[in-house]
Amino acid sequence: MERPAGHTGATPAAARAGLSIRTRALLVSLVLLAIPFVGYGYVREMERVLQAAQEQAVIGTARAVATALHDRPRLLDRRVDPVAGDAGYPRGTTVAATQEIELIIRGLRRSGSRIWVIDQDRRLLVLEGSLRQDAKPAVEPDLWDRIQGTVLGPLFALLLERPREDFEDALPEDVLSGGRAVDNALTGVPATRWRETADKRAVILAAAHPIWNGPEVIGAVVVEETTNRVLSLRNRAFEQLLTTTLGVFVLGALVLFLFATRISRRLTRLRDEAEHAIDARGRVHRAFRAERDRDEIGDLSRSFATVLDRLADYNDYLERMADRLSHELRTPIAVVSSSLDNLRIGPAPAGSQVYIQRAEEGVRRLNAILTRMSEARRLAETLKGTERERFDLGRVVAGCVAGYVAAFPQYRFELRLPKAPVELEGAPDLVAQLLDKLVDNARDFCAPGEPIEIAVDVEWDWARLAVSNVGPALPDAMAGQIFESMVSVRPAGGGAERPRGEPHLGLGLFIARLIAEFHGGKAIARNRPDGRGVVVEVLMPLAGAALPAPPAPR
Amino acid sequence: MSRRIAIVEDDAAIRENVADTLRRQGYDATTHADRKSALAAFRARLPDLAIVDIGLGDEPDGGFTLVRELRALSETLPIIFLTARDSDLDLVSGLRLGADDYLTKTISMPHLLARIAALFRRVDVLRSPPKSEEAIERGPLRLDLKRMTATWRGTPVDLTLTEFWMVHALVKYPGHVKNRDQLMSEANLVVDDGTITSHIKRIRKKFLAADGAFEAIDTVYGMGYRWIEAPGAA
Repeated sequence: MERPAGHTGATPAAARAGLSIRTRALLVSLVLLAIPFVGYGYVREMERVLQAAQEQAVIGTARAVATALHDRPRLLDRRVDPVAGDAGYPRGTTVAATQEIELIIRGLRRSGSRIWVIDQDRRLLVLEGSLRQDAKPAVEPDLWDRIQGTVLGPLFALLLERPREDFEDALPEDVLSGGRAVDNALTGVPATRWRETADKRAVILAAAHPIWNGPEVIGAVVVEETTNRVLSLRNRAFEQLLTTTLGVFVLGALVLFLFATRISRRLTRLRDEAEHAIDARGRVHRAFRAERDRDEIGDLSRSFATVLDRLADYNDYLERMADRLSHELRTPIAVVSSSLDNLRIGPAPAGSQVYIQRAEEGVRRLNAILTRMSEARRLAETLKGTERERFDLGRVVAGCVAGYVAAFPQYRFELRLPKAPVELEGAPDLVAQLLDKLVDNARDFCAPGEPIEIAVDVEWDWARLAVSNVGPALPDAMAGQIFESMVSVRPAGGGAERPRGEPHLGLGLFIARLIAEFHGGKAIARNRPDGRGVVVEVLMPLAGAALPAPPAPR
Repeated sequence: MSRRIAIVEDDAAIRENVADTLRRQGYDATTHADRKSALAAFRARLPDLAIVDIGLGDEPDGGFTLVRELRALSETLPIIFLTARDSDLDLVSGLRLGADDYLTKTISMPHLLARIAALFRRVDVLRSPPKSEEAIERGPLRLDLKRMTATWRGTPVDLTLTEFWMVHALVKYPGHVKNRDQLMSEANLVVDDGTITSHIKRIRKKFLAADGAFEAIDTVYGMGYRWIEAPGAA
């Protein structure tokens, strides 16, 4: 409840707590992340197709080699050569046979595939080729590849299994002896088998095909390939997919973010403008700029502008009400007062004089009311044509206070002035009128025996004129409004307490405000820090506050 | 022969009240409710003084038009605006059209009579050759109290009746501060403070037009105004 008056009504920024439009837009853009997942499924499907194709190719190669060796038992029959070396390596007289097999295989083999031929006894006759891929010629990576490699490389390394060429490719014993594919082939049935290398670094696809000699199986051809080729194809596809979708995601999110930023900026501006269009006192300024955009926000802004315009019109109407009323009442009052004048001048029935006097007193008061009512409007007119001059606020205030001391001996005035002159740019007459109003107001509320304090001081580029009195505090609700036209916080029927008998319309502080605003300043009313009364302050910029150097004398 | 005063006013009650007051004072008052009938009557015979309202019936500025036409008929006829409109703009345009005074309807009948009498006095003095003059001289200022005219260093300063009375109130006791209430009563006016301020401003401007170095009217903030004897002129 201790907050100073005149600073109420600002919308707390906390109203914006929760998710901003921008954050929401970013969340929405996360939907785009579904694309890579869908793409991943397709890539997996492609991998399966490629694997099937590879299998077929490997089987084909095995069949082709086997077919070339069909019905040529001489090449395989090691039994004719008892000198055959250990571990079934061809030796001696079979060298020619081995060379022939190798020749056949070389004609049919695929790069990256290893072909071996075994006989019925699972002795290895020929081993040709290597499972390792031929090293590709190094291609100079272009800029894009490098960027991609730098930015996304770690991600790919995390997500994708790189095919490796440093796997263990020795023929494990169990493959030779117990591989099911080989078993099947040696019984006459072509078979394939996937197996991992011993070090589990690669997967090897092996296809075995029997070699027939008439109805008899005399050996088998085993073609092996790693799945690395398919793997790298899959990886390439997946990398491209990921790169593209991430690019789209980033781009989409960026666009969405910019769009949301623009919308949220427009909304923020709209909010700020709408907030500033009505000040703490509820007065409408016409400064609201409607947007021209032909979308919903522009629409909202325009409708705000319309609403504010109507409100401003209504405020204007209210402010001019007093003036119009005074104008309309002036003629009938003139009728009454001129009639009374005639009555007084002419022969009047005995005893009527006292009534005439009372009626005249009533008319006089009515006239005073009317004059006050149109004072604000007349002041506004005066302000339009007023020429500004440089004057010392201290001298004006001192003069006025000397006048008050003479005019109102029943009140005590305490004046505090700075030693240096306080130069303002404006109309000294008007400032005197402003002080009249402030003092008038202070006199109305001042507790008997207490002084009315009038102070002038300088704060930065501002001159402060403060009139303070001991008396009832301001009701909180009225703090921002007492500078409005026809607003008064005087208690109902307060006129009875006023010995001066002047009517009060709540126009005094309104006039003070108009004059303060004319000087580029503002008027603030608040309760005194000690809580014993009210201080009304007027802040006005010092002369040349914006242009510190006064014009040099010639 | 009693003087003829024409009242042009659309509100019957005010018209008749003013007419009654004037008749009681021995004037011959004629009344007109609208511009056309008034103008027709003026063409037939000019009154000695005219009191004109600005808004006449359905013509909001009918009074202004009428005064313009009336000025064309006679340059010397005293004209008073008596109106409910009290804006500075109306006041200035009224005086610029050649009216001798501009009064709002809040004026009391005695004040009105004082002004009418003053205007007639001025007309009389202007007509008759100057005799023993009643005048106040303050340095370069000379106020002719009969003609109610002012000259500054020999240059005539064209003041309205209200302005003349205010200047007179100030120069009667040079150096004494006159507050706004005193100025009002001297000028037979009931207006608000702001109007006094703008009257003083207009007076200053008129003197400044005659003499660019004029600064004899001093503002005493919060109290009023005073006349300073120009030190150079003494």
